[in-house]
Amino acid sequence: MQLKHEAGAPPQGGEIATATIPYLEIRNIQKSFGGVRALKGVSLSIEPGQIYHLMGENGCGKSTLIKIISGAQPADGGELLIDGKPVGHLTPVAALAAGIETVYQDFSLLPNLSVAENVGLTQQLVAASGKLARRLDLTQMRQTAERALAAVNLPTSRAFLSTRTDELPMATRQLIAIARAIASDARLVIMDEPTTALTKHEVDNLIGIVTRLRAKGVAVLFVTHKLDECKEIGGRAVIMRDGQKVAECDIADHTKAELGFWMTGKVLDEARYRSAPKFGDDLLSVDALSLKGAFANVSFSMRRGEIVGITGLLDSGRNELARAIAGVVPADAGRIRLDGKDVTPRKPADAIDAGIGYVPEDRLSEGLFLEKPIEENIVVPVLDRLRGAFGILDGRRSRELAKRSVADLQVVTPDVANPVQSLSGGNQQRVLIGRWLTINPKLLVLHGPTVGVDVGSKDTIYRIIQRLADEGMGVIIISDDLLELLQNCDRIMVMRKGEVVETFEAETLKEEALYRALVEETTARTPQ
Amino acid sequence: MTDTTFNGATPDDNGKVSPGSAWRWLLRHPPVVTFSLIVLVCLVVGTINTDFWQVSNLFDILRASVVRGLFALGVLVVLASGGIDVSFTAIAAFVMYTVTMLVTNLLPGLPMPVILLVAAAGGACFGALNGLLVHTLRAPSLIVTIGTQYVIRSFLLTFVGTALFMNIPSSMEAFGKLALFTHQGANGSISVLPAFVLVLAVAAVVTWWILERTLIGRAVYAVGGNPGIAERLGYNLRTVHIFVFAYAGLLAGIAGIMHVASNRLANPFDLAGTELEIIAAVVLGGARITGGSGSVIGTLLGVVLITLVSNVLILVGIPSTWQLAIIGVFIVLAGTVFSLRARG
Repeated sequence: MQLKHEAGAPPQGGEIATATIPYLEIRNIQKSFGGVRALKGVSLSIEPGQIYHLMGENGCGKSTLIKIISGAQPADGGELLIDGKPVGHLTPVAALAAGIETVYQDFSLLPNLSVAENVGLTQQLVAASGKLARRLDLTQMRQTAERALAAVNLPTSRAFLSTRTDELPMATRQLIAIARAIASDARLVIMDEPTTALTKHEVDNLIGIVTRLRAKGVAVLFVTHKLDECKEIGGRAVIMRDGQKVAECDIADHTKAELGFWMTGKVLDEARYRSAPKFGDDLLSVDALSLKGAFANVSFSMRRGEIVGITGLLDSGRNELARAIAGVVPADAGRIRLDGKDVTPRKPADAIDAGIGYVPEDRLSEGLFLEKPIEENIVVPVLDRLRGAFGILDGRRSRELAKRSVADLQVVTPDVANPVQSLSGGNQQRVLIGRWLTINPKLLVLHGPTVGVDVGSKDTIYRIIQRLADEGMGVIIISDDLLELLQNCDRIMVMRKGEVVETFEAETLKEEALYRALVEETTARTPQ
Repeated sequence: MTDTTFNGATPDDNGKVSPGSAWRWLLRHPPVVTFSLIVLVCLVVGTINTDFWQVSNLFDILRASVVRGLFALGVLVVLASGGIDVSFTAIAAFVMYTVTMLVTNLLPGLPMPVILLVAAAGGACFGALNGLLVHTLRAPSLIVTIGTQYVIRSFLLTFVGTALFMNIPSSMEAFGKLALFTHQGANGSISVLPAFVLVLAVAAVVTWWILERTLIGRAVYAVGGNPGIAERLGYNLRTVHIFVFAYAGLLAGIAGIMHVASNRLANPFDLAGTELEIIAAVVLGGARITGGSGSVIGTLLGVVLITLVSNVLILVGIPSTWQLAIIGVFIVLAGTVFSLRARG
């Protein structure tokens, strides 16, 4: 990823003929968290029946903007107008009453309530203006749910209506979330990264729903960073960077490269990091590894110095496979051999002892001790090696180890005594990688190594991964960032429905081919 | 009752009932497990000692279930919202003692409905205070209610009084003696089903109606399922928090008066220490301690199971010191079954 700057001013909005009053007008909205200015004055007009794509990298402020529009958080400054009238701060119920419906990225379904309740309750809550001392209208709830479910092609049987939502597959939950959004008279439907958990077929279904909404004069706002899908759906692109709207344009008028440049401020080079790999002896052999309900019969082997990528959709079993190799959630059948020795871990400590380092996907909840110093975060797996006299931790050696690690991985910090939360996402990720390097692992499993990491930091992390492999370490990268896998891996395995369905040589592979393998429809997954 | 009205085994994807689905159905309907345990205890005890099969025994169990049942319905509502309440016994003790004292000393002729109303209102006030503290402090409700339990109890014993009331107001005494049903046994012994069991019946129906047929009831489960999502969807957490604790307090106030009426005695040291038993009954009835689930029918069955074990083991020669062990085994057993449900 060579970083170059490109000339050319991004277009600003306002090219739409605005004969009518826009449905929703956002004027100079500002929002700060602590000292950080998440939104620095954003303005946007939403016209009925239009499709918008709110695009930008992680941390650009797009989620904050959505939260303000849907009433989840108040703005610090600026104005919101609906049908030309100022509305002040929206509450969730006020936003819903005004016709603003949001399909959240996590779907925001209540896990313990039934499908009918998840779809139909909101309407009654809005009708009661958020007051709770009201009788339920069960008939109306059921009818609303049936109508909305039919509109998204889900079944409307009694049995389905009374099913708890946490018993349903991800794609079905997504459709239920959409059904809830269109159950009452929506005028703007916001969809926060709606296609993450969907197969190609399901995305087509979604596009069909959006087309029908549009025909009824409903505006749709997608929040996304998938350029391909935006181009396919069409509409207007609203591009944010660093808390500001940097461009607004018709998406068909601009190339992916231009859109990507406005999102990142950088020209992305898709060249491979991997060059001239040198493989050593056999390192890892995974033999018929299975975990009921997650993945089955996964077998592969790799050599020293090899980088293997694993990808798949959210429910493909890739996450569970990564956790099983690290012993976090052990497999219930099969074997993992490292250097010919059976090391199938039953708990994380087994994997560590065997020389398997695991950098989890969610570094905040699974990995780092955020309030603790960088030093403590790095040395934690090797505390017993740092024992000095009387078994007391040797502070000097611990400090030296941490400093070496920080220098080695180019973590930007003045002092290893600072807490980890003082670092940016990319630097936090490097601290986490540094921790596992202290055990000199034979195999490093990286789960989503650059999730929530900015472009510059990605570059550094990729270079570190390449260096580790060159030094003879085996590396497994589990990721849904296809470009990341293509740039870094020797081989890429694709998982679907718990099985490894294809293995590619990465060097000659095209991104389109990998994407097709990822989403290829096997059977319909909506329940009948 | 989302958990209990769905009849028959759930069909799997092919529409057929597979062998595993009966087991899954059982896991989704925890009251069935509770009911099976009740039947098991009855059969075992009844086989060993046929004296068990007597109407008087049934009446005793129902009578002893009233105060527990009222408490348990309150705990159910709090648990369903994802909270926990351990202050209800202290609220009940405070309300029963203070109300008895006020009525005896100041208004001896006060009719029973008014006494109940005053007790319910007093309990609800204490409960609302719990809810307000839990909401505004954003503190774990277990900690908050341990605190308020101690404060309320200490306040009662320090400022209100410690002396027993042996002569309770006449209206309360009459209410406690009122018979719903009188049965003459074969040996001529007379057993009475007191009318105050109807209070529990009414409370159960009202609680069921609130939980299943009103918006606040669904909001309670929504908040118990995931408070963050519920708030995002527009449910008012403050209303829900105050409501559930106030409702538990209201039922505790009524339970306190029932306790006095059935024992014909107001003792400020009573009821303390029974909190865990009540919470255990609700959990035995299928409510998860982590919130978002539980049903009225399950809760009542849990109460009956606990009362049954405390009352009848003596009939088969098991010393009363063993009761706790048996309840403990049941709790672990039920807990295991219900956690299998969570694992799927």
